[in-house]
Order: sequence, then C-alpha cells, then structure tokens
Amino acid sequence: MPPQNHQVQAKASPNSPSLPDFIMQHSNQQRCEDPSMSDYGIRMETLFKECNQACGTKSLLPCGSNDGIKIPNQENCQMGDTSQTGKLQDWDPSIMLENLSFLEDKIHQIRGLLHLIANKKGQQLGQPDEIITQEKQLITANLTSIIVQLISTAGSLLPSVKLAASNTSPSVGQHGQIPGITFPSGLGPSSSSIQPQHDIRDKISDQSNQIDLTNMCEMEQNHMEEHELKDEEDGDEGENLPPGSFEILQLEKEEILAPHTHFCTICGKGFKRDANLRMHMRGHGDEYKTPEALAKPNKESESEPKLIKRYSCPYPGCKRNKDHKKFQPLKTILCVKNHYKRTHCDKSYICSRCHTKKFSVMADLKTHEKHCGKDKWLCSCGTTFSRKDKLFGHIALFQGHTPAIPLDESKAPVGQADMEITENNNNNNNNKGGSINLSFGSNASSCENGIQNMMNVKGITDDPISYLSSLNFETCNFGEFNDFPRPPFEDTTKGSFPFLMSESFNYSPKCGGESCPNNLL
Amino acid sequence: MFSESVLRLLTEDLLVRVLEKLGSDADRKSWRLVCKEFLRIESLTRRKVRILRIEFLLGLLQTYCNIETLDLSVCPRIDDGAVSVMLSHGSLNWTKGLRRLVLCRATGLGYRGLGQLIRACPLLEAVDVSHCWVFGDREAAALSYATRLKELKMDKCLGVTDVGLASIAVGCSNLKSLSLKWCFEISNLGIDLLCKKCLDLEILDISYLKLTSESLKSIASLSKLEMLVMVGCSFVDDVGLRFLEKGCPHLKAIDVSRCDFVSSSALTSLVSGRSSLLQIDARYCFLELSFPLVECLKNLQNLTVIRIDAVQVSDLALQIIGTSCKSLLEIGLSKCIGVTNMGIMQLVSGCESCPHLICLMLESCDMVTEKSFYDLGSRCLLLEELDLTECSGINDRALKYLSRCSGLLTLKLGLCTNISDVGLAYIGCNFPKLAEIDLYRCVCIGDDGLAALASGCKELIKLNVSYCNRITDRGMEYISYLGELSELEMRGLVNITGMGISKVAVNCRRLADLDLKHCEKIGDPGCWAIAFYAHNLRQINLSYCAVSDVVLYLLMGKLKRLQEVKLVNVSEATVRGLELGLRASCGRIKKVKLQTSLSLLLSSEILDMLHLRGCKIRWD
Repeated sequence: MPPQNHQVQAKASPNSPSLPDFIMQHSNQQRCEDPSMSDYGIRMETLFKECNQACGTKSLLPCGSNDGIKIPNQENCQMGDTSQTGKLQDWDPSIMLENLSFLEDKIHQIRGLLHLIANKKGQQLGQPDEIITQEKQLITANLTSIIVQLISTAGSLLPSVKLAASNTSPSVGQHGQIPGITFPSGLGPSSSSIQPQHDIRDKISDQSNQIDLTNMCEMEQNHMEEHELKDEEDGDEGENLPPGSFEILQLEKEEILAPHTHFCTICGKGFKRDANLRMHMRGHGDEYKTPEALAKPNKESESEPKLIKRYSCPYPGCKRNKDHKKFQPLKTILCVKNHYKRTHCDKSYICSRCHTKKFSVMADLKTHEKHCGKDKWLCSCGTTFSRKDKLFGHIALFQGHTPAIPLDESKAPVGQADMEITENNNNNNNNKGGSINLSFGSNASSCENGIQNMMNVKGITDDPISYLSSLNFETCNFGEFNDFPRPPFEDTTKGSFPFLMSESFNYSPKCGGESCPNNLL
Repeated sequence: MFSESVLRLLTEDLLVRVLEKLGSDADRKSWRLVCKEFLRIESLTRRKVRILRIEFLLGLLQTYCNIETLDLSVCPRIDDGAVSVMLSHGSLNWTKGLRRLVLCRATGLGYRGLGQLIRACPLLEAVDVSHCWVFGDREAAALSYATRLKELKMDKCLGVTDVGLASIAVGCSNLKSLSLKWCFEISNLGIDLLCKKCLDLEILDISYLKLTSESLKSIASLSKLEMLVMVGCSFVDDVGLRFLEKGCPHLKAIDVSRCDFVSSSALTSLVSGRSSLLQIDARYCFLELSFPLVECLKNLQNLTVIRIDAVQVSDLALQIIGTSCKSLLEIGLSKCIGVTNMGIMQLVSGCESCPHLICLMLESCDMVTEKSFYDLGSRCLLLEELDLTECSGINDRALKYLSRCSGLLTLKLGLCTNISDVGLAYIGCNFPKLAEIDLYRCVCIGDDGLAALASGCKELIKLNVSYCNRITDRGMEYISYLGELSELEMRGLVNITGMGISKVAVNCRRLADLDLKHCEKIGDPGCWAIAFYAHNLRQINLSYCAVSDVVLYLLMGKLKRLQEVKLVNVSEATVRGLELGLRASCGRIKKVKLQTSLSLLLSSEILDMLHLRGCKIRWD
C-alpha cells in the first residue's frame, strides 16, 4: 500500500536536516490545494503526524542552511492565509486586495525558492545522485504548488470565475511539464482542481487546521481534542473533490480491524507491512529473492495517471460514510483505520501511568504516555506545560496567573498539621456548642482552656505515650514545683493569672487558677 | 493619697507622651506595674509584641489590640493548630492593624496555618519566615495572599522553588525588599520572573543561590533596585556584573562577597560610575585590592560601609580610603594581609578622616598593636563595634587607649591571649554600654576580671568566656550579677561546678542561650538548677557534660521555651533517658544535635515524631 513507502521517507527526513525537509514542511501547508498533488498529500499525511509529535515535544523541526529563507516565507504565507479566513467567497474588493497581497507573498516565496535552487546547484557536487534528484523533485514540486496557488489566486481576481479558470489552465499546463511531478496537464475547468473558489476555501480550512495545530503544540492539554483534529486531517475535510472525480472504496469492518493486511500466499502468515511480507517470502524459495520480487510493487505505477482513490467508512450514519449527505471521504487506508478505531471502537488502551486516559489507537496511547506522568507544570488558569520555562513564560505574559501547586503531593508534616486542625476545629465547635463543659463565654480563661485543650488533644492524637509520660512527670514527681512562668520581659502580667498552668496542668485538679499563685515564690 | 491625685492630673494624652519617652523594656515594665491606668495606656499604645510562650498568646493578643508587629520567632510551639485557635478565640482586633509578622524559625507552622494567619491580617506589609526550613512552595503560595506585602524575608526556606517564588512574585507585586538567601532551589527562571513582576524591588538578597549571570541580566532591569546582596553566588561572573553596570541606576549597595568568579576589574567598572554608592562588600573575593579599584574608591564620597575581608592591602590603599571616603561608618578588614599600625594610623588619622567611624573589623590582623589603638582611641570616639579577634598584638594597654570610646557596644577579643584581668578592668570602667564581649580563649583572665566587668558593664547581653580556664564558681557569681545577660557561652570551664551555674540560672532571668559544652563538673545539680530556674532558655548545649537520665528528662520537660538542644556524648545519660527527654520536649524542640551512633539506637518512632513536629536532627 502506498503509505508504507512514504512513511519510510518521512521518518528519515527529520533526522537529516536538509532542503527536502524544508520543502516538505512547506508543501505541507499547501498540500490540499490540488488533488493532483495527492501523491504528496499522502506523504505529507504521515509527515504531518511526525510534525505533530515533534512540535509537541518542542523540538523544532530541523531546518537546514536555508532557514533564513524559510522562516519569513512561512510567516508570510501564514499571514496571507489567515487574512483570508472567514471571508466570503463572493467577489469583493477587499478580498481582491488581500488576494493581491497574497500574490505578492507567493511571488516572494518563489523568488526565495529559486535562489535556493541556484545556491543548491553549487553545493550539490559532493552529494549522491539520489539525494540530489530527490531534492530537485521536491523543490520543483513545491515550486509548482506555489505557482498553482498563484494562478488560482490570480484567477480569483477576475470578476468572472469561469473566465479565470479557463484563463489559468494553459499556464498550468505549461508548468505541469516540469519533470518528476505528477501534475495532470490536461485538466480542464471541469476538473476544478484549480478553481479559485474551491481553492480559497481549501486554504481557509487548511489554515484553520494549521492554527489548531499550533495551539496544540503550545498547550498539549487535551489529547482528546488532538485526536479529533487528527481525524479532521485524516479526512481532509477541505478537499472537496467533485463527485465522480474519484473512486470510492469501502473496506469492511473486519478488514479494517484485521491486525494484518498482507498475507503470505503460501503459508498464510499475516503481516502489517508489505516489506515484511516480502522479506518473509524469501524463505519460500529462490524465486522470491530476485531484486524484482523484493522491489516495491507499485513503483511503476507512478508514471501512469491513476484514478484518485478515496475511502468511505463502513459505519452507517458516519460523516465519512459515502451515504452521508455531507460525505467527506477519507484519503488513505491508514486514515480509514485510524478514523474507524477512534470513532467507532472501544478505547481499550489505557494509559499505564495515569490510568484515566483511554485510547483506541496504540500510537495515540504512546504519544500520550510520552508526556503523561512527567512533571506537569500547571498554571492557575488550568493550562499545563511540559516545561517549566514555558510555564514561566506564560506567567510572565499574563497578569494574575500564578503557578498552581498540585495538591496530591502532600508532605508528611503537613498531613499531621491537617489532622491537628480538624481535631482543633472539632474541639472548638464543641466548646461553642457547649456540649463539653470546659468553657463558656469569651473571657480570656476560656480561651486559655481552649488552647490548652488543643494542646492536650494534640498530645493524645499525636502520641499518647508522650502525653502520658509528660503527665506523669508533671503530676507525680514534681507536682509542687513552681511551674509558674515568670513574666518574661516582653510579657505583661495580667490581672488574674488565668494561664498560669502549663499545658498538662489543666488536667491535674489541684492546680486551678487560684492555687497556682501559692506556688509562686 | 497625694500621689493618686497627682496621677489624676495626668490626662491620657500626657501619659501617652510620657510613655513615648521610655525606651527600654525594663522601664516599660516598671510603668506597667504602676497602676491599672498606666497598664491600660501601655497596652493601648504598644505597637510591638514578642510572644515567648504560647500560653500567653491569646491573652496578650486581646490586651494589645493595637499592635503593628507580632513576633512569634521565639515562641517555639506555633503550629497550624495554635493559629486556628488564635484566630477563632476572642476579638480579632489585633489583626486589623498588624503590619509586621515575624515567624522566624516557626517550623511547626504549615501552609494552612500560615495561609489563615496571612489572610486574617489585611494590612500586612512585612513577613519574616526565615529559617523555616520546612517551608516549600505551598507556604510560599500562602504568603502570596498578602497582597500588600512590601518586605519578605525567607532565608533558608529550603523547599521553596521557582514555583513558590513565582506565586509570591505574582501575588505580592508591591514587594520592595526580598531576601532569598539559602533558598537553594531557586534558579534563574524564578529570578527572571520576579524581576518582571516586582518592579518596585529595592532590596534583593540572592546569596548562595545557584544563579548565573543570566539572572543578573534580569536583575539589571529593576530600575528601583538600591541594594543587591549576592554573597556566594559562585556561578556569577564578570558578564553578570557588566549587566548590572548598565542597569539599576539607583544602586546604593552591592555585596559580591565570596563570588569566586567576579574579578576586581569588573567590580571597578561597576563602581566607578556611581558616586552615590553607599556600601561595598567584597569579602573573600579578591586576592588583593587592585589599584584601579582603590582609585575609583576616591570618587565615592558618600561611601559608608566597605568590607574587603581577606584581601591584601597596602598602607597606601588604606590611606586613600581614609582620606577620600569621608563618610565611612564601617570598615571591615578582617583577615586582610598587610594591615599594619601605619596603615591603621593613616586610615584613621589622615586629615579629618573617618570622623564617624562606628564599626571596625580587624580580625586576624596580626601586625596591629597597641600603637594604632592610641590613634584609634583618640580619634574615633564614636566607635561602637570593634572586632579584634585573634589580633595577637592586642594587650591591656591597647584597651586602655580605647577608653575614650565610651559608646562601645560590641568588643570581640577572642584569642587575644595577652589580655588579662587588668584589661578587663579597663573595659569595666570605660564601656558602660557594652552589650557584647567575646573573651574566647583569653586564658589569662580570671575571676577578678569578671568582677570588674560585671560591676561596670551592667548592660551586657552576650558574653563568651569559653576556655578561660581560670574562671571558677566565684567568677560565675559575678556573671550572675549581669541581669540583662541572655547569651552565655562558657565551653570548657572545667572548674565550674553546679554551684556556679545555679547562681547564673537563678539570677540571670533573661538567659536564653547557654553553652556548657565540656563543663564536666557541672553535673546533675547544675542542670537541675537550670531546669528549675532558667525558664527563658531557648538554646542549650550540654555536650560532654555529665547529666543523668532523670535530670535530662526534667530539663527537657520543664524548659518550655527550649528550641535547640545539643546533646552530643552526654555521659551518664542512657539511650532511654535521651529518648524520654526528647519525648518530653517534643513539639517545641526544633533542633537537636546528637552523636551519630545514636541514630541506630534511638527508636525510629521518636525520630519520626520529632521530624513531624518540624524538628531537625543533626548527627555529629
């Protein structure tokens, strides 16, 4: 199946910061513009996820020597795109103006790219041919996509849409000749791939995805939302292919949920990946060891234009089901699988760390587990961060936000204190209610009783032994000693000495408030 | 009857005015005892209360309802329970006006109690929670409820991290003074946030934090900062000082002591542009006082404090300092190499130099002899503090020369072995205000010297006579005449018996800190007396003393203010006795020092209990 081949490519790319990377990311943003770019779209699909994760962990996507060009380009692009969001599709001077500025940006981008190519040519001498051609392809593909955007946007400037479409098609054809790109040159206005209206809308939706994505990167608070977003992407909501321009396939539920999709025709063993199957086949005889047999099976199909395949979810009533009136097809088999599992299956994978988050796709669980249980840096506004400096940046930015201290990690002494408080509170309440005949009214001595009760209660609750031993000590052996606290220099003598006794004395009957002064010297 | 009518003439207003003139605590106490009216006036006008015992807490708070300062630092048993009782009994008038709360060493307090207390006092402007080593981010968050807070001291709150600091920075954005000394968990991030949120900071202490120059970059943005103390920031280097150089336009005091990577040239360029600088601290920082730095000191006319311990200085440098920095109040030259009589003379005797000198630190300046004290004694008459520890050139004659400095408050003569009773007699005659004297290992002094000291220096609060072996019980009797004495260190006085120490325990009512290490003859009778009479004792060291189980138990149980005990190798006491003693004092004791071998012998239950009550055990 096609995604497999591309997956490998996509995986390799983050590790090798080079030109293709940049272009991949770049075309990433624009991949939905043109169905003829679907070949890329698929590749991007997988890459997109990778990006997703990479962003989540805040390791910025690698960029080569060209970031000087890349960053402004992307920003420009985004700015241009966002300016279009939410605008009406009707002809409107303000949209025109925005389109114009968009065009400017795009032209700027193309210029950057061309510079890039020019620079690259000088450096490519030492590199293996494969990489060079790959890079070339990517650059030209990107170039094409930008030009297509340019054309379509330019077309939208014309008052009549039809006219625009017919006007643009020749130039598209011209650019379609660029080698290595599967750009259908013969697309007429009816294919609508470059139809400006659609195009704009596509960009809008694409952009909204982008925005969500950046949000997601910044605050990975709810993974559930993330999945929903992924779903959206999987489904390519903004694609809007006209009915009939693609072939709809619907896999059955069993087929979708089958653990293996590639089966050995000889022994029946199943595999998840075709490549593994091919490796397995080698064991069945020498005829499977030839380079032809081991090669990727669908290489040759690249050149001939295929009918685009789109997928439908077998679940009746689902928006992704072909019978739904607002049917939105799924792009790849992988999308179908993930969509089906996420939306129509039980979430059987439970995070082993927090035991609360559930997932139906293993990859989602793994993504979650990467972050779960790590130090969560929590702000009082409820936002969490995986890194302390991000939290502090957030706090510095917003007025009144403070770091929240999670409640679960409570220290032992605190717990102790807690217990004491509840004890005391009970005690106080009782006193107030008069259910314990210790104190009435609010004079000082009652307070003293209160505080002494508190101490005693504490003694009992904390450590009976200490309390008892203390009592023994005070009453038995040294009952007579003058425990009267001498008024220390800062303290004043009170009129009646209601607090003469120390804590335990409250319990020894012979030492009332009056008897104590006798003990004084 | 006559006196009564006279008193009746005095209106409340007049009484208040009279009371305002009374300075000392003792006078105020006498005032309180005159009559109920006087007591009432005193309680209405009193602004500060320092609670010694929790038993008095509620009553005192009711009496003194107009207080602005509540000091609970010497009341060891403040905990969450006590706070909730405090806030739920009687009227809470006292909280209305409270501006300053001192909770130093209140390790029993948790975040709940602290939060309650802070929230109950709406006007709180200053809080001191230093040495509450158990405090962490929760407590810091509780502190952040005090939105009007201007001054916060949280030295050695070991658990406070950047998160806690951030809550304080956000909650108390009006902070003017903050001390984070020894809050080891705080990093650049926290300081950076602090500097973004608390723009009014004037005083900041970041001593011993693991900060880099990056933090100084943030600190440099504080436009109102006047004082920066960064002792022992060993990751800060010249780059950091360069940031400071560009920022902090109002900087008046800088302390870079023990910053190993700060160079003399960086400090020079920081200092050179700022003629308004009042204080420079660069102790244990450089090897020698470089000439450029001395040159730029010339411009600092307003400099009041300079401390440059442990650098090599020359006579010329001292002369320049003496002649150009005319407002100097304090000079710290402890352990400086190259301080000579000549240098001191030029420091103090250049034309009208250092007329206001109040404090002079000359620890371990061997080459200083009585000659320089002749000048010192005749010119620096305002001298209040003099540190001559280990100046072996000091003798009785030097003390005689100092006799005109009658305002002397602190005198440190530790290891000055040439001082004899005669010297002490000069001290006794000439320094009536002396509050602190250190005679550590002044082996020539004896009982007669103490007699002279005790008869002359009635105000003495702190006395150290450790290892002055000639002192006997008679000397102790003289010491017991010192009614104000609160700290007495008398290690290794082998001639003292229980008799001597009982006299001190009975008569020195304010004794709070007593060190009896190696006083082997004191034994049970002495400790018994301490247990019964030294009620204000806050800290005691009984290491290497002969105390039996019963007396130890008594001592620990009866001394209700005791916070810190050192009990290393207490002979005659068994493990069980120690355990009982610890149990008896559990809840108020905050720090215990025991020998390491006991860590296995004591039951884990008692150790856990001590820990839970905020008590720290130090194993020796």
